[in-house]
Amino acid sequence: MQMGSRWVRRVFGAVSLTVMSMIGIADARDLRININADPEMIDPVTYSALIAGDILKNIYQGFTDTDENGRIVPVLAERWEAHPDNLGFRFHLRRNVVFHSGRPFTARDVKYTLEQLLIPGNRGGLARQYVERVEGARAVIDGQTRELSGVRIVDDHTLDVRFTAPDVLFPIYPFMFFDSATIAERGLPYFQQTSAGTGPFKFVQWRRGQDVRVEAHRQYWGGAPRVDGVTWVIVPSDETAITMYEAGELDVLNLTGGGGDVARRAMRDSRLRPQAITSPVAQINFLGMNQNLYAPFRDRRVREAFCISIDREAMSRGLFGGLAVPLYGQITPGVAGYSATNIPPIRYDPDRARQLLAEAGFPGGRGLPPLKIANLPQFRNEIAYFADQWRQILGVTVELEIMERALFLRSLNAGEVPFFNWGWTAGYPDALYFLSQVWHSRSPFNRARYANATFDRLIDQAQSTANDAARYSLYQEAERVLIADWGTCGLYMRTIVAVVRPNVRGVVLSPFRFLPFDKVVIN
Amino acid sequence: MNAAEAVLEPTGLRDFLRRFVRNRSAMIGAAIVVSIATAAIAAPWITPQDYQRTNMIFVWEPPGEDYVLGADQLGRDILSRLIVGARVSLIVAFSVLAIAMVVGVAVGMAAAWRGGWVDTVAMRAADITFAFPELIIAILIAAMMGPGIPTVIISLALVSWPGIARITRSLILSLRNELFVDAAIACGTRPVTILLRHCLPNIVAPLIVRASVGVGFIIMAEATLSFLGIGIQEPLPSWGGMIRDGLVALRTDPHMALFSALVLGATIVGFNLLGDGLRDLLDPRIRDR
Amino acid sequence: MVTYILRRLATLLPVLFAAVILTFVANQFVPGDPVLIMLGDQSADTAQADRLRREYGLDRPIPEQFIGYVSRLVVGDLGLSFRFPGVPVTQVIQDGLAISPFLAAGALALAVPIGLALGIFAALRRNTMADTGIIMVLVVGMSIPNFAMAALLVWLFSVQLGWLPVAGWGRASQAILPIVVLAIPAAAYVARLARTFMLEVLQQDYIRTARAKGLRERIVIWRHGLRNVLVPILTVLGVIFGGLITGTFVIETLFNIPGLGRIAIQSIFARDYPVTMGIVLLFTALYASINFVVDLLYGVIDPRIRLEARR
Repeated sequence: MQMGSRWVRRVFGAVSLTVMSMIGIADARDLRININADPEMIDPVTYSALIAGDILKNIYQGFTDTDENGRIVPVLAERWEAHPDNLGFRFHLRRNVVFHSGRPFTARDVKYTLEQLLIPGNRGGLARQYVERVEGARAVIDGQTRELSGVRIVDDHTLDVRFTAPDVLFPIYPFMFFDSATIAERGLPYFQQTSAGTGPFKFVQWRRGQDVRVEAHRQYWGGAPRVDGVTWVIVPSDETAITMYEAGELDVLNLTGGGGDVARRAMRDSRLRPQAITSPVAQINFLGMNQNLYAPFRDRRVREAFCISIDREAMSRGLFGGLAVPLYGQITPGVAGYSATNIPPIRYDPDRARQLLAEAGFPGGRGLPPLKIANLPQFRNEIAYFADQWRQILGVTVELEIMERALFLRSLNAGEVPFFNWGWTAGYPDALYFLSQVWHSRSPFNRARYANATFDRLIDQAQSTANDAARYSLYQEAERVLIADWGTCGLYMRTIVAVVRPNVRGVVLSPFRFLPFDKVVIN
Repeated sequence: MNAAEAVLEPTGLRDFLRRFVRNRSAMIGAAIVVSIATAAIAAPWITPQDYQRTNMIFVWEPPGEDYVLGADQLGRDILSRLIVGARVSLIVAFSVLAIAMVVGVAVGMAAAWRGGWVDTVAMRAADITFAFPELIIAILIAAMMGPGIPTVIISLALVSWPGIARITRSLILSLRNELFVDAAIACGTRPVTILLRHCLPNIVAPLIVRASVGVGFIIMAEATLSFLGIGIQEPLPSWGGMIRDGLVALRTDPHMALFSALVLGATIVGFNLLGDGLRDLLDPRIRDR
Repeated sequence: MVTYILRRLATLLPVLFAAVILTFVANQFVPGDPVLIMLGDQSADTAQADRLRREYGLDRPIPEQFIGYVSRLVVGDLGLSFRFPGVPVTQVIQDGLAISPFLAAGALALAVPIGLALGIFAALRRNTMADTGIIMVLVVGMSIPNFAMAALLVWLFSVQLGWLPVAGWGRASQAILPIVVLAIPAAAYVARLARTFMLEVLQQDYIRTARAKGLRERIVIWRHGLRNVLVPILTVLGVIFGGLITGTFVIETLFNIPGLGRIAIQSIFARDYPVTMGIVLLFTALYASINFVVDLLYGVIDPRIRLEARR
């Protein structure tokens, strides 16, 4: 096989890299933390997934962020006020904020970021839908213009945003503003190689399958970070990560990503337990039952039967070793709009489940077309438990389909998975995040393709209700509609765990996972 | 066992058995194989518990009274899963062997008897399969078919037939000049009849040896595929998959990883010892491929 | 000699060509529209889909795609990844490129001397307890799959004794267990062959003659015995290396080593066919080249082979 000299150079490059790293050239003052897969992407435009978010929140920032209790704190917007007609906001941006490139952050960059999210072909991710209510968004999406007319630059640090319909949560949406000059010069793929944010760390490099490294942004407006940088080491197996931690190769053992099995183990380990930090996580876990792809799911009784065959209490204690609590509805404690009494506990009721399935015309599971439940390898145990419950109680054989992460996410997003369980971590501390993103029929992240007109109407109404109390009662009504219809059912809420070396301070877990690492100190 | 007996002629079956019993390592191998095979066949009746039954109260239960070898990450009985795993493993191994034998013997016979382009094509095909490491072929097929038992069987059969075809071909070639073959040809017997009726009995012994050596490899390859997640899928247990799940708990609950690794290792050792013993006794000429 | 090399080369090319055809055909038959896999969220965006189809050349007729595939291969271009849209396969695999061959070579360097020593030792002590013991150890070493062996060794050396790291890549100590686990079956295989060949050699007339001449046993063994054992061992180096390369798929996954094997496994799960096929092609090429080199060496050592090949 003929390979060009380019290849020869690459082979030698890789060899010398391997040799160099084996001799042990390391940056002693980097914070080293594990992640269990490659980030799905490393740019703020297409950003739409968890691991990428954990990294990107150290590089890019929005108007606001959440503190360790899940409360909103101003970040790049110092303050904002609603327009009198409730159809817009005026933002006063923080001064003296400097991008990683050294350029000052201005209102122009905000406008540019919002436009880039919408421009066709840019594959705008999670944040794209936050911009869709802005005036003129349609024209940009349709490719008629690249100019977002609803965003008006008043001066370098003042900006008006106008909506086509009220959007009271706009200031707390997790945007990631980036340097318009850098991107305009080099084009979007430039994100793979450089850093264009205002956050405490600058992106340095991503070696696929190996690690992602960022370094301190010395001119960070919140004060230069106390560590030289952060290295996220890609370690697919958490068990491997534990050993690396014990060998001193990790400063933070991040156990927030796996199926909970290893986190449970760490909490039983006398050496690791004293160094552990935990937090409940603002993440709903639910059963996705696609009624278009699996006809029996159109019957409410079938959906209920599947839901009440799962023993949430036993699962939280057994499979998660106490590092989870049962979840019944689709709003977690810790986000605005939660009410402990809104959804009564879902009782584990095998007899009723059997009876419901029989009433639906499938006594003992007979007559049901073949069914598969899909998930990632690290959730194999959860679906094996569910499948066995359905086998034992309903007499239904549910096959397990284990899929690779990137493919599974794509299939989910394309609405091609008939049956799955999945989690959704809140991006901002408001129940709307769960309800509108996961269950509104127009949301691209409604992966079960659930559609309920009453539910949609309540959510639309909530989105334009400025009064908090009135809005929360709309959320709760919507949640009741969703659960009463057995459109889904909650499963559990995880307690996330990380283990931190005693010489490292300032690593904080919040319901929104790790806070940015700018206050971390390594002694 | 008519065929084997025929080959064993001048010494006789009794003598064969006596020599076999005297070969200590072959006896150890046979003992292991017989016990694993018995467990596999009797699996539906001897598993102490339902191998699929999860129980959230007994997650990672250590070995004890109710769970002789402990319970796994879902509170399922490890012993029962090891026994059913043996059944799965042996079913896959013998399916692979059956396919590879039929294909290999047919191709080898055709190549040897017809010669010419048939021979060239068959042996080139075998060469090309040899050019890919086994696991890589299995992976290619897994990429096309998705994981599961059919993938495992087809991919392993694909890497197993060429060895058998080669042996068959060389054995038939050496038989072609024998008097009884010439006699059969002279009588106008059809080639298929000659090959099956007259030649096959004479090559059964070396083929048995080849097969017994092959089983160990097939079991190992199946376990490897399952370990990687492209083999046997849950809820069916596989030894390879159990080792993978057990590795997660190696630090605090090593029982599943260790028991499964030992059972898998012992089974393959058993088949290999038995195969070596048979080879020494039946056909000392054949070596590893 | 030159004609011999050319002749061997001529047998190598069909194998490589078969690999190229097989990978291309496999790519054609895999389920699912790659463009829709890549688009994910935007799978309804037909303009985007057309653009990707053009970018990946999937809008061309099949024969044209094949010609393109082959001509790109010649210049070392393996196409674009599905899992990371727009990223060349070469970029996805370049970081892992050196790791798998490094592990395999390390294991080979460890396995051959140890295997030879064990095998020859056993042959010289034929039919003693030591011989029987070694044979049993060899069967066990060859039988236990590498991941089961890894589980046992990691439990012993990393969990119980704490001597070695469980996994990872980057420091010398992290390479020890993977290389040892890879080397064990290879060493056992070499030892077994070495024992068989040594036993054969010891029966030969010239050894008897040498002994009869009163040469010291050590000289007899080293000068006459070892040499005749090495040649047949050399012929199976290709097979051993193939086994080691295959072993890296498992070992890299188990020890969390970012080599080609682990990338291949991840790509299979991601249905990233161009990356999978690229790696398969690379491994096949490597395997075939090793066999080619071994054949050449063999021809150098034993001229009879060259003559035989002429038939």
